[in-house]
Amino acid sequence: MYFRIIRNDIKKSKIIYIIMTLFVAAAAMLVSLAAVLIINLTGSIETLMKTAETPHFLQMHSGAIDTNRLEEFAQRNENAEEFQIIIFLNIDGAQIVLGDNSLAKNIQDNGFCTQSSSFDYVLDLEGNIINASDGELYVPICYMKDGTTKVGDRALICGKEFTVVGFLRDSQMNSTLAFSKRFIISETDFSALKSSGSIEYLIEFRLNDLSKLSAFETAYTSAGLEANGPTVTYPLFKMINALTDGMMIGVILLVSLLIVAVAFMCIRFTLLAKIEDDYREIGVMKAIGLRVSDIKRIYLAKYAAIAASGCVLGYALSFIFKGMLLENIRLYMGESGSATFASLLGIVGILLVFLAVTVFVNSVLRRFKSLSAAEAVRFGTTQEKVSGARHLTLSKNRLFNTNVFLGVKDVLSKKRLYVTMLAVLVISTFIIVVPQNLYSTISSKDFIKYMGVGECDIRLDIQQADDLPGKAVEISNAMDKDSSISKNVVLTTKAFKLIADDGTAAGMKIELGDHSIFPVNYSGGSAPVKADEIALSALNAKELGKKVGDSVRLVIGGSEKSLTVCGIYSDITNGGKTAKAVFSDESADTMWCLICAKLSDESLVDNKVLEYAEIFDYAKVSDVNEYILQTFGSTVASVKKASVAATAAALIISALITVLFMRMLIAKDRGSVAAMKALGFRGSDITVQYISRSAFVLIASIIVGTVLSNTLGELLAGAVISSFGTSSFSFIINPLNAYLVCPLLIICAVLAATFLGASGAGKTKISEYIKE
Amino acid sequence: MKKIIVGENMEKAFGEDAEKVKVLNGVSIEIYEGEFVSVMGPSGSGKSSLMFALSGMDSIDGGKVVYGGKELSGLKENELADLRRSEMGFVFQQPTLLKNLNILDNIILPSVRGNRRKGTKITEKAKALMQKTSISELETRGITQVSGGQLQRAGICRALMNDPKIIFGDEPTGALNSKSANEIMDIFSEINTDGTAVMLVTHDAKVAARTERIMFMLDGKIVSEMRLPKYDRTDVDVRIKKITEKMREIGI
Repeated sequence: MYFRIIRNDIKKSKIIYIIMTLFVAAAAMLVSLAAVLIINLTGSIETLMKTAETPHFLQMHSGAIDTNRLEEFAQRNENAEEFQIIIFLNIDGAQIVLGDNSLAKNIQDNGFCTQSSSFDYVLDLEGNIINASDGELYVPICYMKDGTTKVGDRALICGKEFTVVGFLRDSQMNSTLAFSKRFIISETDFSALKSSGSIEYLIEFRLNDLSKLSAFETAYTSAGLEANGPTVTYPLFKMINALTDGMMIGVILLVSLLIVAVAFMCIRFTLLAKIEDDYREIGVMKAIGLRVSDIKRIYLAKYAAIAASGCVLGYALSFIFKGMLLENIRLYMGESGSATFASLLGIVGILLVFLAVTVFVNSVLRRFKSLSAAEAVRFGTTQEKVSGARHLTLSKNRLFNTNVFLGVKDVLSKKRLYVTMLAVLVISTFIIVVPQNLYSTISSKDFIKYMGVGECDIRLDIQQADDLPGKAVEISNAMDKDSSISKNVVLTTKAFKLIADDGTAAGMKIELGDHSIFPVNYSGGSAPVKADEIALSALNAKELGKKVGDSVRLVIGGSEKSLTVCGIYSDITNGGKTAKAVFSDESADTMWCLICAKLSDESLVDNKVLEYAEIFDYAKVSDVNEYILQTFGSTVASVKKASVAATAAALIISALITVLFMRMLIAKDRGSVAAMKALGFRGSDITVQYISRSAFVLIASIIVGTVLSNTLGELLAGAVISSFGTSSFSFIINPLNAYLVCPLLIICAVLAATFLGASGAGKTKISEYIKE
Repeated sequence: MKKIIVGENMEKAFGEDAEKVKVLNGVSIEIYEGEFVSVMGPSGSGKSSLMFALSGMDSIDGGKVVYGGKELSGLKENELADLRRSEMGFVFQQPTLLKNLNILDNIILPSVRGNRRKGTKITEKAKALMQKTSISELETRGITQVSGGQLQRAGICRALMNDPKIIFGDEPTGALNSKSANEIMDIFSEINTDGTAVMLVTHDAKVAARTERIMFMLDGKIVSEMRLPKYDRTDVDVRIKKITEKMREIGI
């Protein structure tokens, strides 16, 4: 009998049930996708890093190296299991031509290596360890992804000819967020090229116990070993590998959460409306002695059927999209070993959605208990408490047109019903505005300040040259004379010894110079101004356990000095562990210099970059916009895509829900609509009443949604952004988009849907709904 | 006397081809200004359909309805709505008041359609009507907070707001006890005495006994008609007797 009741009922209101099933399907699909993706991503990363035997500790170093001393350290240190030094041959992008494309404008440090002998292997796309023969070149996978080159292309490196024979996965440098990329060539070719580039050493260790990593780090620094370059550890490699796809998964999780919420709203709304429709029947069933649990079962069975079909559909859909979304993970990281476990978890996710829907329906149905049979049979409707709107009477209304008044009054007196629509529209606004704001934030030029880079037009890096300070001054002097450069600053990075609170010494790289000219974003405090002040990167501050106002002890020029922490900033450059100060020092060696410049006319950037690159060939000159584009370009592009997709999805959701709501309301209101028509209200009057209801809810939703987006949304987005290593975050809002375009889009979608949904209301036949 | 509504040869059917049921089967009827008429018949005889057809709330398949010289089938939906609002009043069996408006607001509803209220005139008129029907104290009550008889009085007030030429009542006392029903019929009599035409649809002989012309319907046709003198409290039993005899004669 249940089956017959369900079938008849679903037949009667097909559209409503189809929409609901679709929402459940979407929710199930997203939850299952998120589960599958998370397992696959972690599995793939695990497999990749295991096969590649990623180093646990990596110290980059340029300059003189004492191999014997390092070997001795590796043998003596009880935690070190394996040790090797890889030579990374840094070659200027202009000297690398792949197919028809030169890497001249590429900001990555492109280097050439041979396959390592004992660990840190570079893999091909099948997951095998690469073995390059003479004349063969293996290219980082990112150059396949961006279409720079393909297998079979001829490559010209410093005039020497190669053939691109394959692409490589590099467990260290796969991500575009890692600033270096390595190419693999044979030993012979490497020796031939050796003189054409500058050499950097990758000093790598694998430990017998990863949990001893920080002890090992301390031991390495206190031994005073080679450290002219960033230090990167195993967890950071893992994080960088997970970031790009992790963000996608985060977005999917967020959206699936919202869709689940919307599906619940839909179910609650249709269920309440249905109960109201069936009120008399329910009363009669109760009156003739049916138990509440029997009545509940009829409703529960129907929604269980919807949930089940939605979940099955969602699971099927997740199969279609799974391949698409896994493509990137497979390409960069390879197959994960846990595909079966992932599918299993996907099914668990689907079951959870099903369970949640049934539990939710059951809780909505609890109100049957308090339903009075007598009241139901007598009035045929719920005796809703008309709350809050009693003082709003038509007889005292001077402000609104009667139809508008009736619409608004209806919303206010049936808050419980309309709160559902409100919630959905608030969520939609949220889904549209937050990604939009996130996009405008990370695409803004100011955003680089969150990344530890000041807002300038051109930057020149000098790393491997004699007399670094002299060369920096030379460039700075040239810039002072150049009228097209409005301001410039030289920042010199030197290594100092830091005395920790427990008395042990560790190395610290400090960037010296005037930090007020191109300031970065400080999450706490401000830039150093006085000689006894120091600003720490968030990562450093966390590791040292320091906050603004605390003091740190440094050895400067042989004597110990105490500096006050004046600010903490976010940084992703140089491994994220940096510091800034203004004191002058002649004792320590300069590790590298950075010259930042701002042009009086931004359009000159291209010319200036070329000009300075030519004059100062020892410096790496980059256009900061280009730098941002290449570092964050793919992230910005995917956030933009996500934002557009989210907007489209939210608009479709809003429109669908509005049509659904209007249809349900009209079905519910047939009696009163017929009465009004009998009294001489025109069809257009009725439509205006529905549009007023919609518009009223809509305006409230947009206001609430926008406020929530800029508060709660900012916190959420901040959590996403913080995965980049930033600590404080606030939206950089494009007011035109956030406050005009987005609301207008929702308004158009919802009003159009209202029009569509409510157009039938005026056509209600009076004689059919005024019954004797 | 002038005719208000003329229905000629009206036809109306429901259902699909084979199972088509003719609810109006060539009905002709005339209603005059200030008249007090009723239509009697068993369930399904077509009396409500007749009322819906005459008021333009439902279209007919054949024949025509003329109101004040205008044929209803020639009017657009909006013109029909305007006509119902300005010239006609309706009282239904079930109170068709809006749930989220209080009694006073429900009464003034047809007068404020699409307009901003014009001063306090409308409210004053509504209050006067409420006084007349003895529900003055119910102004701010919700519609679930009053009795069925009180609701029906409010419905009558609403029907009278725009000074209609004719009031249609579809079983207006059908849901009431006999005391309330009597009081409601007193109000209808009073309205008629004031000059408004009243047409009631009923199967209750006591209700029909209040009217002066009674039409009997059976299977979609008016099969008989009888006239009674103006209502007088003393002869009510005689009137009822006459009507029931007629009903027996026709076979209702």
